[in-house]
Amino acid sequence: MNTFTSACAGLAILAGCAGAAWAQDDTIKIGVLHSLSGTMAISETTLKDTVLMMVDQQNAKGGVLGKKIEAVVVDPASDWPLFAEKARELISVNGVDAIFGCWTSVSRKSVLPVIEELNGLLFYPVQYEGEESSKNVIYTGAAPNQQAIPAVDYMMEELGVEKWALLGTDYVYPRTTNNILDAYLKGKGVATGDIFVNYTPFGHSDWSKIVADVVALGADGKKVGVVSTVNGDANIGFYKELAAAGVSADDIPVMAFSVGEEELAGLDTANLVGHLAAWNYFESADTPENKAFIDGWHRFTGDDKRVTNDPMEATMIGFNAWVAAVEKAGSTDTDKVLDAIVGVEVPNLTGGTAKVLPNHHLTKPVLIGEIREDGQFDIVSQTPEVPGDAWTDFLPESAKLDSDWPGKQCGMWNTETNACVQVKSNY
Amino acid sequence: MRFIFIALALMALALPAAAQAPDLGAVIAQHRGQIEKPSRQSIGPVVQAIAATGPQGAALLQAWGDRALGLRKSDGLLVIVDGDRLTDAATGADLPPAEVTLLRPNSGVRGVISDALAGAALSDPDPARRAQALDALSRRADASQLVLLRAALDDPDPGLAARKARLERLLTIQHDPDPAARIAAIEGFGGDTGLDFRAALNPILATRRVALETVPPGANVAAELSPGDDISRDAAYAMLVEAGLAPARLTPQAERAMLAQHIQGGMVGGVPLAQLGHDAARDRAWTALESQGLVQPAASEDEVTAALDRFHFLDVYAEPDQTVTDAARAALRGTETRIGLMQAADLSLDALSLASIYFLAAIGLAITFGVMGVINMAHGEFIMMGAYTGYVTQQFIADRTLSLIVALPLAFIVTFAAGVALERLVIRHLYKRPLETLLATFGVSIALQQLAKNIFGTQARPLTAPAWLDGAWTLNDIVGVSYIRIAIFVLALVFLGLYLFIMNRTRLGLEVRAVTQNPGMAASMGISPDRINMLTFGLGSGIAGIAGVAIGLFAKVTSELGSDYIVQSFMTVVVGGVGNIWGTLAGAALIGFLQKGIEWLNPANTLAAQTYMILFIIIFIQFRPRGIIAARGRAAVGA
Amino acid sequence: MRKPLVLRHPSILVFLAVLAVFTLAVTMLSAGYGTGAISTSMVKTLGKTLCLALAAVAMDLVWGYVGILSLGQMAFFALGGYMIGMWLMVARTEGIVTGSLANLPIPPTEAEISQAVATQIFGVVGSDQFPAIWALSGSLIGQLALVVLVPGLLALVFGWLAFRSRVNGVYLSILTQAMTLALALYLFQNDSGLRGNNGLSGLQNIPGLESVGQERLSVWFLWASALALGLGYLMIAWVASGKFGSVARAIRDDEARVRFLGYSVEGYKLVIFVLAAVITGIAGALYYPQAGIINPAELAPIASIYLAVWVAIGGRGRLYGAAIGAVFVSLVSSWFTGGRAPDLNLGFYTVKWVDWWQVLLGLSFVLVTLFAPKGIAGLVDLLEGLRPPKRGGAPLGPDMGALQEREATE
Repeated sequence: MNTFTSACAGLAILAGCAGAAWAQDDTIKIGVLHSLSGTMAISETTLKDTVLMMVDQQNAKGGVLGKKIEAVVVDPASDWPLFAEKARELISVNGVDAIFGCWTSVSRKSVLPVIEELNGLLFYPVQYEGEESSKNVIYTGAAPNQQAIPAVDYMMEELGVEKWALLGTDYVYPRTTNNILDAYLKGKGVATGDIFVNYTPFGHSDWSKIVADVVALGADGKKVGVVSTVNGDANIGFYKELAAAGVSADDIPVMAFSVGEEELAGLDTANLVGHLAAWNYFESADTPENKAFIDGWHRFTGDDKRVTNDPMEATMIGFNAWVAAVEKAGSTDTDKVLDAIVGVEVPNLTGGTAKVLPNHHLTKPVLIGEIREDGQFDIVSQTPEVPGDAWTDFLPESAKLDSDWPGKQCGMWNTETNACVQVKSNY
Repeated sequence: MRFIFIALALMALALPAAAQAPDLGAVIAQHRGQIEKPSRQSIGPVVQAIAATGPQGAALLQAWGDRALGLRKSDGLLVIVDGDRLTDAATGADLPPAEVTLLRPNSGVRGVISDALAGAALSDPDPARRAQALDALSRRADASQLVLLRAALDDPDPGLAARKARLERLLTIQHDPDPAARIAAIEGFGGDTGLDFRAALNPILATRRVALETVPPGANVAAELSPGDDISRDAAYAMLVEAGLAPARLTPQAERAMLAQHIQGGMVGGVPLAQLGHDAARDRAWTALESQGLVQPAASEDEVTAALDRFHFLDVYAEPDQTVTDAARAALRGTETRIGLMQAADLSLDALSLASIYFLAAIGLAITFGVMGVINMAHGEFIMMGAYTGYVTQQFIADRTLSLIVALPLAFIVTFAAGVALERLVIRHLYKRPLETLLATFGVSIALQQLAKNIFGTQARPLTAPAWLDGAWTLNDIVGVSYIRIAIFVLALVFLGLYLFIMNRTRLGLEVRAVTQNPGMAASMGISPDRINMLTFGLGSGIAGIAGVAIGLFAKVTSELGSDYIVQSFMTVVVGGVGNIWGTLAGAALIGFLQKGIEWLNPANTLAAQTYMILFIIIFIQFRPRGIIAARGRAAVGA
Repeated sequence: MRKPLVLRHPSILVFLAVLAVFTLAVTMLSAGYGTGAISTSMVKTLGKTLCLALAAVAMDLVWGYVGILSLGQMAFFALGGYMIGMWLMVARTEGIVTGSLANLPIPPTEAEISQAVATQIFGVVGSDQFPAIWALSGSLIGQLALVVLVPGLLALVFGWLAFRSRVNGVYLSILTQAMTLALALYLFQNDSGLRGNNGLSGLQNIPGLESVGQERLSVWFLWASALALGLGYLMIAWVASGKFGSVARAIRDDEARVRFLGYSVEGYKLVIFVLAAVITGIAGALYYPQAGIINPAELAPIASIYLAVWVAIGGRGRLYGAAIGAVFVSLVSSWFTGGRAPDLNLGFYTVKWVDWWQVLLGLSFVLVTLFAPKGIAGLVDLLEGLRPPKRGGAPLGPDMGALQEREATE
């Protein structure tokens, strides 16, 4: 097999590899489209391993429809155009029935046209900014109403925050989330002057001025809270500067949407105790399902220290939902699976179930965690499952939009004019 | 007067306790659900009820706030956990060890609890508890706590006594019923710039915007706004519409929706549908509908003007007493200039710190590029190697101070060796082809970066500063700079001195200068240019390694650490002027101050600051291609 | 009477012939027009590679012929892509919007259509207005003109400033790198008007050609890319030969002497820099509709450095060398990072190429610079038996350019 693959790969440079070369009819193939190199590798490699673990576990249970599942792993190398190219290759050359992949919104937007053109099926496992519902994508991560809005509610009600600093990395997820939060907060009666917004580049390290600006917000005598959509490595400098400035979670709580167990591993958490994060899953969730999942993960990776995180849970839910839908439909055909998958309910790891909704989002509980000294989170709040909303209700343009795939065959339905704005996404 | 207050307050507190002193067990049973899943909004009465039960209630609250309250797994009994010791929360009785699920009240609830305990804790014998209580009170306090604070003003610890006195003054401003006392307190602060003082004043000056036909007498008006000047006409009219005081203006959407409701036989108001793709036709259709009385006439421009004239638009203080608001406003205005100056000072400190970071990252480059003229694109990776050396050292030596002391020379040795190896293997062969040095060292750079990823993974690694570098030096609430940045500044100064010493006062420096100026002549004087080049390059690389440890301490350790700094470092050297350390210093200062300056102008977007900073440098180099401090004479020819 | 260009340089004919055969072969094996042995995604990769080769050839003109190591070429490439991307986005969205608004009882006004288009395009960055730079985006001709004008103008302004103040050598390299970094950072901002980090996406769907299908469209783009590469190659070869080319090479070898001979060095440099920028922009305009998405990461300094790497590995100073380098390295690179290369088991350690490819690339780059400055194209010389006489040896004098041992004896 190995020599054959390499010979084929050698040919591929000039001739491309014909689809037939991979054909093995006794397996069901799924594609794994996560970056294994480049800047996103740090986050996405974990998800690739998660999919492989799920495939292993499912095959041990006898596969699906009596066939084994075979995962085809490709590396889009954190290069956005390459995501589109690899997705096309997975569907048209490798003939996969579903793709698990993407992390950043840009990569998803890059893959979307290809998936829709070739009628593929993508499971997208990361919390994102919403404002999208594609026929061919199941969004297993949180929409803004499943993470950002409940988190802000928590800060307002439980922490009494009156003045807001929305800090984010300068890209689409923080921008859109902050726009939604801005509209939401103003709707709650927060004055324009009480919302401070700042965007920093990826990997920003010089936080002194921004932290000073945030501290200075307290001059109004109102309780200040920070909502951080700061992404990746930049968090390290940010939290270090917060700690240096002596900002404790009691004075200025920081609620982060992109900081999970993995990110905290790169930090000395002693000074961050009490700061918050909002997710749909924490490794510290005390349920038998979660314990089994963590044990399986440690076994699979052979590393007792590997942490689990929210996108891993979303990947797991997506995989289980796909298996359930395939079993229900009795086929791996995209249209039949899409018909079957709406309404499918699979258990999540925090003790409830995730149900696939007609808008291709899931129901998810919202958890708020306070950072502990050991880099884990104390779950201080957990809501019942919240249905994901593709089009947010807090921006006027999208409040009137709805998405209903089985009912209206439309991902962008204008409820005012009762007409479908577009069937295919406009990326 | 004050005495009566205290007496009243004490009575108010003592009364319920004396009257019935409810049983703690009963209170717990009654509020069981709330205790297990508390919410800040509703927990207040429960906490009050528990506090009212006496000392055991206080102990329960204390444990609850410290997250030491739990449920015994076997029967759900509420217990206090203290290390290995278990006590019954209701009775205080010792219990045998058992499995316990700890309760996790969120920080909002903990705040309510510490508030409730704060009053009593103000006179606690333990100074730490008293300080905690003061912290809690300075976050939130109400009039009743002002009374308690006044009762507990005496403190054996002078520091705490001063804090109490200051807090008492601040709470007086906010909560004292007597305006004269409040004004006196405000004026007592003089031009204080403390954040807490401003935090006490600003709520007094909070205003809300209203539209009124007649201004009620006695309203404490901050300002009257005239539409068109202080408030835009649209915004003013929108206020009226929102308050239901005026009809809405016609928006295109509304017009369109109304027209759509009156389609009759392919026409609207006599205008065919096909023509309604133009505004003029829509207006005609609307006018036709209006004349038929089918639609409500919308507010015209004249009506808007009339409505705006009829109403007064006011900013009204929530605080009714004008003398208090006047005093507060005067006090705030008095602090403005000083605060402005302080902010400028703070910004300068930030800029200085950024400049020292750039200088530190660039100083090695000032040697390899500035003195030797070698473009080393792998310089950033040497910085990264230094940072990883620091990380690895910390894995072996747990004591952070010691590991730092070991890591600094170790980083120098590692990167010195790497630099020498690079010089011997690659750069030596390319001295006459500078552009190719650039490309070859770039190859080394991507190889090293990937190697670091393969060895350490892509995840950021922790490099933690010793405890004595934690925290910040603060002059007051505005001016402050973290110790780690001060350390970097000092390190930069040390290296500046070291550079000057080596170059001007040692044999090596003399030889380096000789080789740079004229290698042929230097060789004929018995200096080996090969050896000198090797040592110089190693020195530059070694300094990069030390810079790496410092940068890793303050930011992060990743394989991309170096590439974040490489372009800026080159620009620092180029802007400053090649071949002169003072130029590098000037370049770093220019870049640091410039970037902070632009950030100050546009605080919402740090990315823009970086963009404009680079743009400025590009333009700057056009006009001073040799940098701020240009090399003169022969040295300039080679560069 | 001089011989025609292609006869004076037979390599041009060979190059064009290889290109034509390649294009024909791919067409016949493609899914759209032939047997389907080559998948559509592979056709797209090959088409994109041709565009990169064109950019590399233009890079070779500025670096190999005039000696300007521009580390900002990808800025021009991406700008070309952005310009065509603007039209693609607007035209496609307009189609969708008019379609959906046509269902309404009241026909939409122009302003309403434009508003709806803007909302669709800029909704992701929280805006519903067309920024001023999109003024021409409705017109294909306008944007095509901008594909040429914008990179050309940027190169003109930047080059004029830099050459005028005699910034050269490594300084110029760093400055061009700063230029592309500044541009990338600028475009990363949401307020830049080009959708920030999102960039422009869905570019592979060409408005008006929805019915053609990607199988055939990809081949069309391959043809266009091949044509552009062929024409660009001819043009650059023409510029590089003849008297103009001789002066250019002279500037590379010793700028000061050329200046003393009375030539306007700055003028020559500027013309070539702008020409290369324009050609690179065109290459970008063809590349991104095949890639499907463009975002500011494409302008990161590293991308331009890679372009230089390709040219160096291919062989600088000869145009076919640059093209070979771009094709070879980018395809090998995508093969290694694609996870298809078999792991190398060394017994004690298994080399996974996904992890180690970059190390290999970096090191091979060092080796090429050190030992094979002529790059892959140097192999052609070996085949032809051309070898420079070895005149090396220890220098006899201490200064640069001193007579070397063997030069003196032979």
